[in-house]
Amino acid sequence: MLYSIIASGLAVGAVYALIGITYNTMFATSRVMSFTAGQLGMLGGVLGSMFILRLGLPMVVGLLATLIVCALIGVLTEFVAVRPVLKSLEQHLYVLSTLAFALLIQQVTAIEWSTEPQPFPRLFGIGEGIWDEKYWLPVATCAVTIIGLEYLYRRTLIGRAFLAVAEDNFAARALGLPERNLRVASYALAAVVGGLAGFSGGELLLAFFANGPQLNFYGFIPVALGGLGNNRGAVIGGLALGLFQQSANFAVGGIFASVAVFVMFIIILLAAPQGLFGSGTARRV
Amino acid sequence: MLITRRTLGLGAVAATSTIALSRPGLAANEPLRIGWLASLTGASSAPAIGFNRGVVFATDAINAAGGVKGRKIEIITRDTQGDPTKAVNATQELISQAKVDAIWGPTNSGESLATTAVMARSKMPNIHPCVVDSLIDTKKYPNAFRIAPANGQWDDAVRNYALKVIKVKKVAVIGDTTGYGVTAAKASAEAFKKDGAEVVYVANIDATQPDMTPDMLRARAAGAEAIILWSVSTGMIARLLNTRGTMGWNVPFVGHPSLSSGEIGSLVAAKENWANVFAIGYKSCSFDANGKLPARSAEFVSRLKGKVDLADTLLWWVAGGYDAVNLIAKAVEVTGSSSGEAIIGYWNTLKPYPGVFGDYTFSADQHNGYPTDEVVMSAANSAKDGSFALAPGYA
Repeated sequence: MLYSIIASGLAVGAVYALIGITYNTMFATSRVMSFTAGQLGMLGGVLGSMFILRLGLPMVVGLLATLIVCALIGVLTEFVAVRPVLKSLEQHLYVLSTLAFALLIQQVTAIEWSTEPQPFPRLFGIGEGIWDEKYWLPVATCAVTIIGLEYLYRRTLIGRAFLAVAEDNFAARALGLPERNLRVASYALAAVVGGLAGFSGGELLLAFFANGPQLNFYGFIPVALGGLGNNRGAVIGGLALGLFQQSANFAVGGIFASVAVFVMFIIILLAAPQGLFGSGTARRV
Repeated sequence: MLITRRTLGLGAVAATSTIALSRPGLAANEPLRIGWLASLTGASSAPAIGFNRGVVFATDAINAAGGVKGRKIEIITRDTQGDPTKAVNATQELISQAKVDAIWGPTNSGESLATTAVMARSKMPNIHPCVVDSLIDTKKYPNAFRIAPANGQWDDAVRNYALKVIKVKKVAVIGDTTGYGVTAAKASAEAFKKDGAEVVYVANIDATQPDMTPDMLRARAAGAEAIILWSVSTGMIARLLNTRGTMGWNVPFVGHPSLSSGEIGSLVAAKENWANVFAIGYKSCSFDANGKLPARSAEFVSRLKGKVDLADTLLWWVAGGYDAVNLIAKAVEVTGSSSGEAIIGYWNTLKPYPGVFGDYTFSADQHNGYPTDEVVMSAANSAKDGSFALAPGYA
């Protein structure tokens, strides 16, 4: 029993963590919390199933096609829902614009795909029981993604440029960095991470249009727990959330499990408003 | 000719009497208008699409045979998209502008809860197939008639199968966390207890919960001999069945018709995970041990052949749509009138009317027309041309 909770807890936790990273990556360059993050996770599953099962593409081609479409949707998000409202960031109009765009994605998926959960292909056919690939695949994907992002941010020029924009976009622009293009690129990157979350968790969550809002909620919690913009915090927060949620499912059952999760979330935020791994920022006056 | 005041007066009288005399003739040739509130698009469109095939088939058959006492049937369809607001608007439009003689539908309870009172105000004869018990009330809605089982009848069929046919004594009752799942599971658990069964485990599971192992382990630890399931979520059902397979626990699942939904077949990890699962079905649309449908249904299916596709729908939906149109037509044919009182008055005397889907019996104080003993369990994985094999154990 304990192993089952750990396996499924880590698996859904890894998916939540990846959605958390999606939020963070978009936030870093634009200071916008884009609520399309969960929908990108949903699309990862739906597109993966569509390309591999419905259209019969090989797994690698299906994965690439899924990530490309997700990246395009990420870019579209930046153009449609983010760029027009950046000028009035303090009015938080992005909440409305990104939520509306997220809803649009969800409805189109419901109409064009299906309102019922559809099967997601078995990718490798490795493992049984708690070692089934549906449990370890999201965890492995999360590990690879976080290593990849660390490499990108620390070792590559474009990664450093991302960090520079995230740190202070006025200064970055003054230094001649193409802030707008970097922002578009970061939305594409975030969308790829979101797509990976849905694709790797597809066997667990199925290709279902209603996964979007679910991932939006539960993906946001690790961001708040781990501290906004802190990817390592999001990973730890996500995995902890997954484990706690599955334990609550076992201990108190369906209806109360979500209540338990939100109670824990509120308690942690009361104790540490900046998140467990976030640092209070000093504001120059 | 000089037109005098007298000739003008005579002419006016003649013209008026000609028009007055010709009125009955006009009424006899006027089409019989049936409003059809069909949720043909949107999330819950599958049943309405099936019903619609029956409606079209029945209408074409009656019209080809000369109509109802010379009057052609005209179906006025409004797509409600599963939205109660749209259903109410369409109902009002059908009554006040299209001036229909009777309404068939809506096909889901959410819409029907919204439209029933509207139709009652206009005393509009209404037949629907929606399951919520409160939709039928002969005092409040004397115009509303149900030709499908009510929720309580589904519940009876499930309990009857679990306790009397497969003879289990300890059951686990599981619903999802939707309003329907919570109320259905609660009512079911209470009814099981009343019948002397031991309800060892009751749970409402979030349909999106990725792993169902905790609930299945708890049900097994509590000693459940059957799982009674109330959910329309195919994802949740498939996960539960897959978990049962992984656990190697061959406990029977008995419950909601969604257990037999075609989607489950593609979602279960192995075909055998869908065995030993019994979903609510109907005798009239079930194969017997020899793979044969009851005579009346077999004859209906042979008439449908080549005209109506049954592969992607359920036979009971098509049969229900067919019966609804015929019930309205029969009322007009027998009474010779398409007035609301005449149609409702005729339906109140039906005992029983032999439809394809079932034998309907109505009286002035009972508008639940579908016979409970017609509601049976089917082997969930046995779908063939919209029908299912009768679950094992029935005499």
